[in-house]
Amino acid sequence: MILDIDSLSKRYGNGALVLKDLDLHIEGSGITAIIGSSGAGKSTLLRCINRLVEPSSGSITLDGVEITRLKGAELRGMRRSIGMIFQNFNLVDRLSVMENVLSGRLGFVNLFQAASRRYPQSDIDRAYGLLERVGLHEYVNKRADTLSGGQRQRVGVVRALMQEPRLLLADEPTASLDPKTSVQILELIGDISRELDLPVLLNIHNVSQARQFAQRIVGLRFGSIIFDGSPADLDEAALDQVYEGTAGTGDEDDWTPAAGRAAADAAHRPASAVKREMIEDRST
Amino acid sequence: MSADAPSASSGQQRTWRKPPAIANPYVRYALFAAVAGYFVWAILSLEISWQRIMQGIPRAVTIFGRAFPPDFSRRSLMVDGFVESIQIAILATFIGVILSVLLGILAARNVVPRLVYLVGRGIIAVARSFHPVIVAIVFVKAVGFGPLAGILTLVVYSIGFVGKLMAEAIEEIDAGQVEAIRASGGGFFKVLLYAVFPQVLPRQVGLSIYQLDSNLRASAVVGIVGAGGIGGTLMNSFRRFDYDFALAILLVMIAIILLSEALSGRIRQGLT
Repeated sequence: MILDIDSLSKRYGNGALVLKDLDLHIEGSGITAIIGSSGAGKSTLLRCINRLVEPSSGSITLDGVEITRLKGAELRGMRRSIGMIFQNFNLVDRLSVMENVLSGRLGFVNLFQAASRRYPQSDIDRAYGLLERVGLHEYVNKRADTLSGGQRQRVGVVRALMQEPRLLLADEPTASLDPKTSVQILELIGDISRELDLPVLLNIHNVSQARQFAQRIVGLRFGSIIFDGSPADLDEAALDQVYEGTAGTGDEDDWTPAAGRAAADAAHRPASAVKREMIEDRST
Repeated sequence: MSADAPSASSGQQRTWRKPPAIANPYVRYALFAAVAGYFVWAILSLEISWQRIMQGIPRAVTIFGRAFPPDFSRRSLMVDGFVESIQIAILATFIGVILSVLLGILAARNVVPRLVYLVGRGIIAVARSFHPVIVAIVFVKAVGFGPLAGILTLVVYSIGFVGKLMAEAIEEIDAGQVEAIRASGGGFFKVLLYAVFPQVLPRQVGLSIYQLDSNLRASAVVGIVGAGGIGGTLMNSFRRFDYDFALAILLVMIAIILLSEALSGRIRQGLT
């Protein structure tokens, strides 16, 4: 897998630039952690890659295919080859665990199969296999909102893996979880990345966890890459640069309420802008 | 135990009051004055006179006096009317709710392009702008007396109410779930099926039951202007001064509405 991001910029509406002329090249497998304070542009960067957010300028190519130019069915085809897991899990609460997991195959089945939940046997086998892998095979018919946070994120991981992705985007997958569960989820992501040879782009607040689980760390500050190197290269000076002039060192434990972070993110990405993005996508 | 509360120890008293909803005092008092002024003007100009109310009371007493005892003897006429009303209400609710779901999607800002949204909102606004009786008069003129006019009227009525609330329910859904389905490569309809409908389903079922309830009531009213059902029977009995028969109809109507309200309340309770 080769992901090439070339002078990528993004602004929401008439606001300030969230991503500034950003270049990033990722090759092979392994976990690349993206660190930086709230509002540095981490979420926006990930969402530009699968075009949940429309880049303002620049280009992104995945294995030679220019993602930024894709439309309609081609765009959806690209999305299904990129798995994504979210800070708030984003499971469909009122659907069962199995329905949520199978929704990872939505890009592969037709509308009738999707509506009637008649997925191919191979998909169902894959779903059971992955659910067993994460220890949730006994929860297939439970509603997603009855699970605990850690269980829900594991369903989120399984849903993303159902897509048989070439690349996994993880947007602060542990920020809504307690420290112990966070580590479990990161270990799961690490194991899977190794087993499936799957490259992972991981947004993460917790720098010590980034050091522990990633093979490469990218530091983002006000929309620009300010650090790019191995965990060993990330010394105090580099860390200070990444978080300079922003609140918190980022090295503290996971005590910050997730809601506060979500609010900070939301403040950066106004709801009206998000809505506009949804509509723009509709017309493609 | 609470001897040294912060305020006592610091020796400084800070007071707090809830800030008024309208910060500008001029605007606030102007609003109060405007409301008071409106009521004075309305009461004076509408010639609401105590005298006429007093004259009306004995007339009302005569009508009620003649209505007793209620006359249930013309049962078949009554049953026919009520059955027709209920048929109208159920059919209209069914058609109306299906159309409302479609219109609700078209009128939800977060799932359709702006132009479609405006058209959807427009249709709902038109459907909402007239009382069912006025709509019924138009449909009776258009398609003639009888239940068809009643069904069409209540379909419009249902669209106005359920469609608007469905659109609002869709606009309030969690965007994260939509994002997740889009990220997996789902197109417009798959997003609707997997991220939008599951979130609004309980709301939709509740609204449908409420609308059935509401249509039962309204079906009696639109019958008065000739759109079929028990309303017509009721109107005829008034016209012929059969107040005892009218009272019987009203009593049955109350019974049916109480029954449907109890049932729908029970069902909605089971949903949440």
